[in-house]
Amino acid sequence: MEKQSYQYIENPLQVTRREFITIGGIVVAFLAIPTVWITLVTSSSSRYLQARTKGLYQDDTKAAVRVSHGNKSVARYYKEFGGTPLGQISEELLHTKYINRTKVLS
Amino acid sequence: MNVTAKTYQKGEIPGVIAINATVCKGCDACKRHCPTGAITGMFGTTHRIDVDLCLSCGQCLINCPFGAPYETSDTVDEVIAKLKDRNNTVVGIIAPAVRVAIGEDFGLPAGSLVTGKLYGSMKKAGFEILDNNFTADLTIMEEGTEFITRARHALFGEKSEHGGEIGPLPQFTSCCPAWVRFVETRYPTLIPHLSSAKSPQQMAGTVAKTYGTNVWKKSPESIYTVGIMPCTAKKLEASRPEFNAAYKYNKKNGRGLTNKPYPDVDTVLTTRDLSRLFKKLKIDLAQEEEVAGGSLLADYTGAGTIFGNTGGVMEAALRTAYAVLTGSELKPLEFKPVRGLQGMKSASVTLKDAKYNKEVTVKVAVVHNMAENIQPVVNEVLAGRSPYHFIEVMNCPGGCINGGGQPVCSSGSSWISAIRPWFAWK
Repeated sequence: MEKQSYQYIENPLQVTRREFITIGGIVVAFLAIPTVWITLVTSSSSRYLQARTKGLYQDDTKAAVRVSHGNKSVARYYKEFGGTPLGQISEELLHTKYINRTKVLS
Repeated sequence: MNVTAKTYQKGEIPGVIAINATVCKGCDACKRHCPTGAITGMFGTTHRIDVDLCLSCGQCLINCPFGAPYETSDTVDEVIAKLKDRNNTVVGIIAPAVRVAIGEDFGLPAGSLVTGKLYGSMKKAGFEILDNNFTADLTIMEEGTEFITRARHALFGEKSEHGGEIGPLPQFTSCCPAWVRFVETRYPTLIPHLSSAKSPQQMAGTVAKTYGTNVWKKSPESIYTVGIMPCTAKKLEASRPEFNAAYKYNKKNGRGLTNKPYPDVDTVLTTRDLSRLFKKLKIDLAQEEEVAGGSLLADYTGAGTIFGNTGGVMEAALRTAYAVLTGSELKPLEFKPVRGLQGMKSASVTLKDAKYNKEVTVKVAVVHNMAENIQPVVNEVLAGRSPYHFIEVMNCPGGCINGGGQPVCSSGSSWISAIRPWFAWK
């Protein structure tokens, strides 16, 4: 059997073990900062979003009536004043038209 | 006023949001949140807003880490003056999303539901209350009926009962003023798809100055309506000159005293503005008594209140449309597929139209966070390939609860508040 020769350079960058650990630590810390930051940012924004969303669904769950057509005051409005949905008064007061704003307006 | 603005009618606020050049650091954070790319300026230089592209949604304002964007319209002092003037009946129109956010400005945890305390504080300040949830229910009656009319026209060829023209499907919701302006400035061919129903705020203003005169026993001229909204775009919406339907109605029917036109909604305060108003009047909302609304215009249902969440309008509309079409209530009432923070949600409901005795499948979609999610939906409808019948669109991520008029730093809606405690300076 022939003896295999190979080249090996001990410590090519000339850093001590201590320096290597220090540099490695700094690199890891820098890589970690954006991760921490992104989680902080996303979690804080979705946390308050979820809290407010939950608040409104809570308001729905505890409501005695949970459907719009069951709102007695709305029914009273139509009976005393508004007529029917899409009726003449509704068209006049509760509906609108939109504007093409791609033409110069002012 | 910007003299070159082209997309505003006379009398409208030409852009509610502007950037304070001395505060802007040019960090580009706002650009990620802008639905139309209206913010110009290189990274590192002072940014500006193009008012013709701007929808006034205020997402840049609540997401700027330095607080550079500000509102050009501030009427807190005007409203306080009206409250002190005893000749006026000042009506506060409270949007759904305000009641789960305003507590944050008074030290309560995020998401606290404070309807009773809010009513109490408003009464103490001198407001009469018209809960916008009442008109949200009214919106469902109008918009839901409109949807049923459009759907029956498309499916069964039914003619309009009132002889009017019937719009095409899919029907888009029209509650969100930023979305409406987006359509009007970019895709006017989609206008027929928008529901003709006014937003709940505009319905509220009109109802307050017509039917409301019987409720409060006041003349329409003495009623001063204040929209209290989680939204900056509502300020622009209220300033649209065509929104004086109550004036026209009263004049036509001999109910008016003056010939001076008045708007349906006189002014709009954001949730932040209202907190400021309470603080100026030394009212601490957190310590207030819980009281009831006080008139039938403050009665609302669970369907009205969920308008503030993404998917809420759709869920409320489905509950009513289902009942009207089939004659029985939707069970369970919670319609889960349209809930949650997923960018684009879709669902379908198969039901039997009792009038025609036929099975129909209603396909609906819900879009929020327009900056990221709107384009594919719009493209589909423009190309005539949209599989949906009814589409809800809200500009802000999460819906109105995260609107541009909501409290900012206390809850961490600005990303820098999350890291601010790490630094000695504030």
